[in-house]
Amino acid sequence: MQGPLTQFLMKNPSVLIFLGLLSAFTIFAAIGSEAFGIGFISTSMIKTLGKTLCFCLIAIAMDLVWGYCGILSLGHFAFFGLGGYMIGMWLMYERTRLIVESSMANAALPPTPQEIQEAIGTQIFGVVGGAEIPAIWAFAHSLPIQLALVVLVPGLLALVFGWLAFRSRVTGVYLSILTQAMTLALALYLFQNDSGLRGNNGLSGLQNIPGLDHVPQSHISLYFLLASAFALGLGFVIAKLIVENKMGNVIKGIRDNEARVRFLGYHVETYKLFIFVLTAIMAAIAGAIYYPQAGIINPAEIAPIASIYLAVWVAIGGRGRIYGAVIGAALVSMLSSLFTGGQIPNIEVGPVNVVWVDWWLVLLGVSFVAVTLYAPKGIGGLIDMIKMERTK
Amino acid sequence: MNEALLEVRNISVSFDGFKAINALSFSIAEGELRAIIGPNGAGKTTFMDIVTGKTRPDAGEVIWGEKNVSLLKRQESQIARLGVGRKFQKPTVFEEQSVYENLLMALDNDRSPFSVLFYRHNESDDQRIAALAEEIGLQDHLEKRSGDLSHGQKQWLEIGMLLAQEPRLLLVDEPAAGMTQEERQKTVDLLRRAAQSRAVVVVEHDMDFVRKLDCRVTVLHEGSVLAEGSLEHVTENQDVIDVYLGR
Repeated sequence: MQGPLTQFLMKNPSVLIFLGLLSAFTIFAAIGSEAFGIGFISTSMIKTLGKTLCFCLIAIAMDLVWGYCGILSLGHFAFFGLGGYMIGMWLMYERTRLIVESSMANAALPPTPQEIQEAIGTQIFGVVGGAEIPAIWAFAHSLPIQLALVVLVPGLLALVFGWLAFRSRVTGVYLSILTQAMTLALALYLFQNDSGLRGNNGLSGLQNIPGLDHVPQSHISLYFLLASAFALGLGFVIAKLIVENKMGNVIKGIRDNEARVRFLGYHVETYKLFIFVLTAIMAAIAGAIYYPQAGIINPAEIAPIASIYLAVWVAIGGRGRIYGAVIGAALVSMLSSLFTGGQIPNIEVGPVNVVWVDWWLVLLGVSFVAVTLYAPKGIGGLIDMIKMERTK
Repeated sequence: MNEALLEVRNISVSFDGFKAINALSFSIAEGELRAIIGPNGAGKTTFMDIVTGKTRPDAGEVIWGEKNVSLLKRQESQIARLGVGRKFQKPTVFEEQSVYENLLMALDNDRSPFSVLFYRHNESDDQRIAALAEEIGLQDHLEKRSGDLSHGQKQWLEIGMLLAQEPRLLLVDEPAAGMTQEERQKTVDLLRRAAQSRAVVVVEHDMDFVRKLDCRVTVLHEGSVLAEGSLEHVTENQDVIDVYLGR
């Protein structure tokens, strides 16, 4: 067993470098945290860092499906959001149940299970004018089942959608439009009050982990940062194992010349479906770790624009090199929260008042155009050039 | 008739009213080398598209192998796995990948995603790739990005990939296009060697190249067979001279 692993690591030093940097980063965060360290990193900053790691993970998924397999999916945030909804259902249901039960425990008569159910229903769905717990919440009491659904629901959606699209040989920009339509349709559906997922209110209070009320948020945020880092590390290794093997050769072949791969005897549709579903699941897991840190999820999160940002991250970071996606997602999402968070003072330029919350999008757009024109391989491409210079 | 490896019966196909293939019948035996010639628009490439499953004919049959399997309802990848290899007009190799990786993908191994996902490099595959690289004269370029190869080398790599597939029938579309004299000779040798163990159909414009192949020739014109026989035989055919050579 030692043989192939050592070989793989020898051939791909970037895996060890990445895991090393990621570990160093988490240790740094832990030391800086308010929970266990000297406290110069605030709890909300820890959450931002953890969420950024989740963005890096979905960016890896995007790089696999787009950068390596050539499928420009503009719908992967749908899977991210669904993963978040699936875990959010358990978080919200269980916590509401605990609160309801403890408040009813003081009543003169012990509450019946039906009364408890009704109280939970009113608590959660009162906001959309209901008291019934919808059928899709049937398993919300069970963490293992909801965790399984984190993988199964987005995986199944990707499977059905991908099967239909790839089988009809929808490719290129048409496929991109279809994926946009998918995420838009899902968002619009979830916006409805009778969707069973609280309409535009979404699910909230997700930062409160049921049964862990005694653990302060500063600790929980750090645990989630560690979980995010672990998932990202695992995602990186899995992605590398795929692309640095024969599977990588085949999917890159599909990206560059689909017909040729077909004439070599490979069933292209199956390969695309495999990558599409796998990356959907990666996105879903990223979402399931992200939303407990964000605290709230609502349908706006899966609006088409989110998935377009995802493509921008990967393009800026550099397609087809995995670590490029991580760089792009980390850099752009951190800059985005910096510019939109009000930390940067607005500037008066003559008659124009540059308000960064608005102008950040302009800046992002300009840099996207600049990267496309002058550095089509993104930041990762610049790193390649430095490497080439050295070996010369 | 049962000896034919591939038999095409009475196929027709039209695109927007233009009959690209018109009641074409054609058959090739196991291990035969055959050249197909004909002017532009004679239906040579469309013929290959039909055999490999890219285009569906409006009528006719395509029968394969001793079990007389119809190829018409099959997908491109299935036809390829049955043993039909195809080389395109333009060299189509995976330019971003090395010569080694190109050959590895083409090697006659299991094509299912799971066996590909868990593929482990092994000695016997490496040896087969080395032997193939030797055959196509690229043994010193295995680690080279195939996009950096010369035009001729790309053509050979593609032929090497076809050989790696271990097909029973090789369809080769204009292999000599854009090649130097020297490269042409090497290509002729390569194809003749390939034909020793499998059937090879070469579509070619270049008469000199066809002469060197020294094999049976089928002349296509307006989507059907105009003449068939040795090169001498068909070049003496008055119809052939009229539509093709005489121009």
